[in-house]
Amino acid sequence: MASKKSSTDFIFFFLVIVLLSIGVIMVFSSSAYTAARDLGDPYYYVRRQLIWATLGLIGMFIASKVDLQWLKSMSNIILLGSLILLVLVLIIGSTRGGASRWIGIGSLSFQPSEVIKLAMVIYMAKSLSVNSYKLKSFTKGLFPYLALIGLVCLLILAQPDLGTAVAVAGTSYLLLAVAGARGSHLFVLALSGVGAVIAAILLEPYRLRRFTAFLDPYADPIGAGFQTIQSLLALGSGGLFGVGLARGVQKCYYIPERHTDFIYAVLGEELGFIGAAFVLLVFLFFVWRGFKIAVSTHDSFMSLLAAGITIMITLQAVINIGVVTGSMPVTGITLPFISYGGSSLVFTLVGVGLVLNVSRYSS
Amino acid sequence: MLFAAIFFFFIMRIGWIQLVKGDELQEKAYENRHRRVKVEAKRGTIYDRNMTELAISISADYVYAIPPEIRRSGKAREIAEKVADVLELPVDKVYSKITKKGSWFEYIKRKVDFEKSAKIKELDLPGISVAEESQRFYPHDTLAAHVLGFAGIDNQGLEGLEVMYDETLKGRDGAIMLEFDGQGKPLPNAVHEYVPPEDGKSIVLTIDETIQYIAERELDALMNSPTNPESATIIIMEPQTGRIRALASRPTYNPNHFADYSPKVWRNIAVSNVYEPGSTFKVVTASSALEENVIGENEKFYDPGYIKVGPERIKCWRSYRPHGSQTFAEAVQNSCNPVFVTLGLRIEEKKKGLFYDYIKSFGFGKKTGIDLPGEAKGILIPREQLKDINVATISIGQGIAVTPIQLITAMAAVANGGTLMKPQLVEKIIDKEGNLVKEIKPEPIKQVISEETSKELRAILERVVSKGTGRNAYIEGYRVGGKTGTAQKPGKGGYQKGKYVASFLGLAPVDNPRLVGLVIVDEPKGYPYYGGTVAAPVFKKVMEDALQYLGVPPQYNEEEKKERDAERVEVPDLRGLTREKAENALRSLSLKAQLMGNGDYVIEQTPKASADVKKGSGVILYLGSGNNKNETVKVPDVTGKRITAAAKLLEAMGLKLVPQGSGRAVRQSPIPYEKVPVGSEVKVIFTEEEIIETLGP
Repeated sequence: MASKKSSTDFIFFFLVIVLLSIGVIMVFSSSAYTAARDLGDPYYYVRRQLIWATLGLIGMFIASKVDLQWLKSMSNIILLGSLILLVLVLIIGSTRGGASRWIGIGSLSFQPSEVIKLAMVIYMAKSLSVNSYKLKSFTKGLFPYLALIGLVCLLILAQPDLGTAVAVAGTSYLLLAVAGARGSHLFVLALSGVGAVIAAILLEPYRLRRFTAFLDPYADPIGAGFQTIQSLLALGSGGLFGVGLARGVQKCYYIPERHTDFIYAVLGEELGFIGAAFVLLVFLFFVWRGFKIAVSTHDSFMSLLAAGITIMITLQAVINIGVVTGSMPVTGITLPFISYGGSSLVFTLVGVGLVLNVSRYSS
Repeated sequence: MLFAAIFFFFIMRIGWIQLVKGDELQEKAYENRHRRVKVEAKRGTIYDRNMTELAISISADYVYAIPPEIRRSGKAREIAEKVADVLELPVDKVYSKITKKGSWFEYIKRKVDFEKSAKIKELDLPGISVAEESQRFYPHDTLAAHVLGFAGIDNQGLEGLEVMYDETLKGRDGAIMLEFDGQGKPLPNAVHEYVPPEDGKSIVLTIDETIQYIAERELDALMNSPTNPESATIIIMEPQTGRIRALASRPTYNPNHFADYSPKVWRNIAVSNVYEPGSTFKVVTASSALEENVIGENEKFYDPGYIKVGPERIKCWRSYRPHGSQTFAEAVQNSCNPVFVTLGLRIEEKKKGLFYDYIKSFGFGKKTGIDLPGEAKGILIPREQLKDINVATISIGQGIAVTPIQLITAMAAVANGGTLMKPQLVEKIIDKEGNLVKEIKPEPIKQVISEETSKELRAILERVVSKGTGRNAYIEGYRVGGKTGTAQKPGKGGYQKGKYVASFLGLAPVDNPRLVGLVIVDEPKGYPYYGGTVAAPVFKKVMEDALQYLGVPPQYNEEEKKERDAERVEVPDLRGLTREKAENALRSLSLKAQLMGNGDYVIEQTPKASADVKKGSGVILYLGSGNNKNETVKVPDVTGKRITAAAKLLEAMGLKLVPQGSGRAVRQSPIPYEKVPVGSEVKVIFTEEEIIETLGP
């Protein structure tokens, strides 16, 4: 067990605060027009975002102080509890927009899929730190993990929520790679993962439409290609310097999910290439700093935990920006720290808190 | 490393999108959000010569739907219910309109009260918008319909002056570039590139609403009388200028609902129908003969009841009791055919084609150039084919076809001292502020006969009315001259039995004609069907009221004077009475009722009650549709007026003003010309500033 040597990583914390601040501003800018028209209150979303961010920061503080050895010992229970929630949401979850993703009542509801992401990272970090030598074997080492990942992904897909499933699978896969799985295994896995995604796409006609729309959004400009086109139009309108904060117009009912999944498009329109590239750089620093924390500790659980959470957050950012820039088919996933989102923001910040916790054990 | 590579890829990607493709995408986004919307120019007004509005453009709101927006909202049923509730329409009808497949624009309701349209705006439903449009309105309904014509739903002139002056009236539409959000609602500060519309110019007619009204009133009376002709036309013209004071035909139509009538009725028979003029054409023969001096001084003509022209025999209309020996003036009085045939042949004898040239000079055989569509030029045998028999028949108005407008124009030349004038309908063009844009001066075409001939002929025509066939056109106190005409209608293989055109062509006063008039009655029913019995009385009624209205001083002869001075009477208070009762009351006092306006009730009178007047004088009754008791009035258009002016106008109509704001009136409820009970409130919004209203596509 590593001894407490250094203080909390301030740079990592600072980068998160920067992204969080950009997020609050952009949530307000992107949602004010539609919130005023639909709900009669332009501050509706930004007020809630501030409340969630505050809750998240409290969660982050607690997570940064929690005893990581205790967390390690609790990882099985956490995973089990999360899996139960994931099953429960399919039975009693509330349905919004055709998907049952929420549990709870009204504004107190949250997405169990957000919990499972974190729980999976914690569990895998513990399990891999204990069993890393077994990983070279496919049947004894790798296969149980694949079974677990498969089960979790299937449960998430049942909601259905392809974006989160891809994020969980991707995070787990990268965590296995970091933990030292064989390259040949990983290659085969990557191939079968692609196969699984293709299968998932072919099974649901709307996913196929979205997928082909990504390849040629103008084939169906008012149908499946609509989101991608409007997103690209927003980004393109931004140019180098952007049209100015709050001055974008594509957010006025043109871009769907303007303050959640497509917030980066609004940011690109209003703050231009400068602003959009800045956010990318901050995320890049975030990854660098997260991995630095991971490699600075000698405790393999802590190291894998910090790496896993960093991967988890960054992968979501990659998928989100990939979708917004039309580089990937549309999958509903938020941009960490920046998009409006209740439970996802809270759990992301809790994750950050754990990484900060780990940073105190760097050598 | 992997993430670094991915982020590097993203930076390249957004650089590509934002910097390389930026302009292109920005343009696409701009086009996507902006729509150019037409701003309709307001069509100019048509005024009568005294600036009474005959055709105006009123603005009214309309509510429209953009079906794709409605579908996207997914709340079509709910929207339909709300809209239907406000507009008082059946929900199903609204629903089917707003969800219509393949449509980007659907009218839900036009001419919507602004209070209701405000409610719709307030509901702020996706895909439902309100915009303003202007609509043509003819406040006097059928009055002067054939002169005015009408403009279609998109304000394009389709008939009458509306089409002839379309370029002048329509103005130029402006354009506005509006930015819309994804739900089709204009964004705040969405106005870009506003090109203001150039409103149309207004035209002022030579038509006098009052004289026009008098003519139409008499036409209606004629159509409803036992005479009940197929059609009838009256034209009244000022002879010195060629300005038309009234031009009306029956059957007619209401230009506000022109589509409800057969296009046959839209045709202006006063300019597009040709007919054999018969004896009225003898005015032309007589003037030519006088001008060419082919009548000996005190020459006596003998009528044996017919005249032989080559192998043909032309009968006089009274061949059963020939006129015998008569002077030229008596022959005109008697409308004696053989005498006119003789005169026509004498002119032709003097020089081949001379009579033909006179006919041409009087404007027959070619268009007069009046500002109305569809003018006919009549039928005239070519000069070189003219034989004696043709000259003979044309002398008595047969074998030639003319339009009513040609005949009255020729008569104007006889009346004004011999100058043929171009008939004129439009006096000037003015702009929105009333500034003169163009004045249209009377246009003399040619001196056809001498002043001398004109004077001589007028005296003879007066005798036609005082002693001859035109006695029914005699007006007490005025010297009237004229000529009757009764022509059999030509059909297949000769003239049709029992089908006549009765007409009267006249002028007054004889010494200095102020008006010339033509009354044509096509196929009068029953007997008598003569111009002197059917058309002359109509002419008399129209002329009498018109001359009095124009303030032409009566010239009574001794006998008449004595009669008139005999008694004076007091004018009774007729206000509030029905038209019939008021007319009866006046008749019993030997006063004459002169009706003005439409309606069944007297709303005002001139002179006022208890005025002391001579028996036989006229009392003008202003008719309205209200006797101020649970009756309806048409709401006047107060837009553009200030509060005091609007209040005055509404008060005069028995309505109450409920003002909102200050400045000039911009909207009103109910909209102009809607019928409401007397005493109703009219809400009017006044504003100090010019407002650019939100416009739809």
